[in-house]
Amino acid sequence: MKTVDIVERIEGEAKLVCQWNKEKISDVKIQFLNFRGFEFILKDKPALDALVYTPRICGICGQAHLKATVEALENIYKNHNEELILTKKAKLLREIGLNIEIIDSHIKWFYMFIMPDIVKFSQNNLAEYTPLKGKKWLEASMIASETIKSLALIGGQWPHTSYMIPGGVMSDPTLLDLISMQNYMDQAIIFFENSLVGIKLDNYLDFKKSEDLYKVKGDLKDFITISFENEFEKIGKSYNRHLVLGDSLSFEKGKINRKLTKNISYENIEELTLNSFDIDKSKISKEAYTWSKTALYSNNFYETGPLSRAIVQNRDFVNDIHRKYKDSMFTRILARMDELGFLLFKTKELIKQIDINEDSFIKPKVSLSDFKYGFGQSAVEACRGSLYHDIEIENGIISKYDVITPTVWNLGPGIEDKLSTSQKAIIGTDSLAKAKLILRSFDVCSVCTTH
Amino acid sequence: MVDSQEMVKKVFTTNSARINTNKGDAYYNSLFEKAKSRLAALRKQPALKDIDLMEVVESEGVNRRDFMKWASATTATLMLPPMFTPLVAQATELMNRVPVVWIELQDCAGNSEAILRSATPTVDDLLFDVLSLEYHHTLQAASGHQAEHQLEDAIHTFKGKYLLFVEGAIPKAMNGQYGTIGPGGETFEDNLKRLSKDAAAVVAVGTCATFGGIPAAAPNPTGAVGVMDIVKGKPIINIPACPANPANMVGVVLHYVLTGQIPELDSLLRPKFAFGYRIHDNCERRAHFDAGEYVEEWGDDGAKNNWCLYKMGCKGPMTFNNCSIIRYNEGANWPIGVGRGCIGCSEPDFWDKYAYERPMADANIKAPTGGVEKTVDEFGLGLLTATSIGIGVHAVASAVAGKRTVHSEDEE
Repeated sequence: MKTVDIVERIEGEAKLVCQWNKEKISDVKIQFLNFRGFEFILKDKPALDALVYTPRICGICGQAHLKATVEALENIYKNHNEELILTKKAKLLREIGLNIEIIDSHIKWFYMFIMPDIVKFSQNNLAEYTPLKGKKWLEASMIASETIKSLALIGGQWPHTSYMIPGGVMSDPTLLDLISMQNYMDQAIIFFENSLVGIKLDNYLDFKKSEDLYKVKGDLKDFITISFENEFEKIGKSYNRHLVLGDSLSFEKGKINRKLTKNISYENIEELTLNSFDIDKSKISKEAYTWSKTALYSNNFYETGPLSRAIVQNRDFVNDIHRKYKDSMFTRILARMDELGFLLFKTKELIKQIDINEDSFIKPKVSLSDFKYGFGQSAVEACRGSLYHDIEIENGIISKYDVITPTVWNLGPGIEDKLSTSQKAIIGTDSLAKAKLILRSFDVCSVCTTH
Repeated sequence: MVDSQEMVKKVFTTNSARINTNKGDAYYNSLFEKAKSRLAALRKQPALKDIDLMEVVESEGVNRRDFMKWASATTATLMLPPMFTPLVAQATELMNRVPVVWIELQDCAGNSEAILRSATPTVDDLLFDVLSLEYHHTLQAASGHQAEHQLEDAIHTFKGKYLLFVEGAIPKAMNGQYGTIGPGGETFEDNLKRLSKDAAAVVAVGTCATFGGIPAAAPNPTGAVGVMDIVKGKPIINIPACPANPANMVGVVLHYVLTGQIPELDSLLRPKFAFGYRIHDNCERRAHFDAGEYVEEWGDDGAKNNWCLYKMGCKGPMTFNNCSIIRYNEGANWPIGVGRGCIGCSEPDFWDKYAYERPMADANIKAPTGGVEKTVDEFGLGLLTATSIGIGVHAVASAVAGKRTVHSEDEE
């Protein structure tokens, strides 16, 4: 038997094509059927223009794309041994911007994309989570709007800001701006404490063992209860291989394939198109079924995202849950909400570290157009996982721009006999509704995937 | 919150605002009567959602007086005289009589994200509680086949009555195969044509849906176009910008509820109430432009003192939008507020014409006497009056854009 279903509420649309055998999914194809062609559009544009183009790849993680672009451009300087000074303030403002975007996204993802489907598995009437009119949905939407204002204060607006530039950032927040940002963070923390986990953030952050799950109250408790009632801790398991490409004040890079390695080299990244459509018709293989490409690290599929970040970083609570329930759908979703608490605390600390007397920007001694040829790479941790940008320029003009988004790592097509991370997680599931939830647990972004 | 709305009202009604849409008492009196009977008729219709706006507003801690202040500021935003304020308030309460279907095509979901952050009383109250959002790809409860049925139900039940909001461009190359939707793999073009057929009007939200946007940037690999290149024989309202300002989306719906017709549009089908201004005219850094004080490079003293960003490639002087007044994220900020300059995101083809950090002289648009920043220095401070530069730039920008309506004041 074959079923074809559509997955909405993921930023764009995905098509889920399942093969069934003995009432279990025996094969699955995840199709992304929308394409814009950013890599073609970026070609032949002045290098700095990329700072305005790439945030438009995604309406949810535009900050991440902006930061990836600016750091890839700065990497060009580094590869020329050309010194480029970045003040601590500039670094902080970039990372704070990105963190706020992740915070905003995690709140919305849980309430708008996860809970409406999860509550269908509950015996209780949880109408409060109903999209567009449920009390909890509206409250989450409001707090996300409030939180993102703290990014607007340094970025100008959200979505689609472009305040970063090689050498620093354009914005120069005042003390009043910083205090306002703290206030917005505090509101988000109050929401986290009162609504999501029902306990103080400090107490939550002290959790070390999986048994601490039972201390969680609030909306997250609803999720935990429904999960254990329906054995969500047993489904959605994949290779349990994890990858974190980005390195920052908030996250550490590394990979786990049986054991943890902190040594990451971009040279091990490979992008393949065996099952992907191509704009050049002559290159389309018969097997092509999606606009997404396939991303591999050291010839293997890896999962990327908050779960990977938490265990590469050795955060105790998630680590212990992961030890017990592996990379299940339950662990994956819980890790994302745990990261929300972690980032609220971390980001507030980072805001405190800003010295307003420092410069926001120090002009590079040479311009990108002074380089006859240049190349640069960068990776940042976006809300959904590792985002990788790879750029080549000639006389200041982009000659190649390649983007690998988190969803490509997690949900791109498998190749030959290898299943992708999400395919492996879905195969063996006994219902379409669960399969869709597993898909959602990766925090899918269709528009990013195909860019 | 309410005070910022007061500020908005003040800016929109102040004499120095450059656009004057005053059509005279006779016109407004007749519109007033028309709106009154329209609202009375709407009130008799059954609500699509059983919601009392004032209850919602009060539950959010906003009192009736604050709500009326909001209505008064919104009336000003819509460029209607103050006598319309009570009608705008009523129209807000009756927004649940107008069904909205929202679809996403070749997009980044940025406009959906933006509408989640509409102005006070919060979007939850206005758009989600009151507005009857019958279908929204990303936000609705249903998914999969259930969502498909919901969409079919909505366009059948509200035939000829719903507003179709479209986010994203439409790829025409390769027979539309760059973008398909639904289980049957309908192309975006076919989907748009089918859903717009029975819509009361089509609202293109964001620069992708209006002018093709970023997918249509050179070399336009997917053959992307905007809604108005596909949909014919229907009223179309363009709300460009990247993302479109949610205040303008709400404005269009309110205007429709209030009058039963779409707001007055310019030749690019943009509502004049929102796109009748150059952002330059209401820019907080305008005084520095007039005084000849410019940021010369990022991070310099001019940048630290919030001087004019024109020489850094700011496209404020040739960009029509109200974002210098409305701002983004519920008035929290806007690009110029952080010293980044305007990129002209509400102008057609701005990706290729305007680009980034490229002052006018380096762009494909030529300003008067071969580049304004050169002119600025050559003119010296003595000649730098607001009008001479302002009008010059506008005239050229208008000529290049070709079709744009030039307002009478600028022709003087």
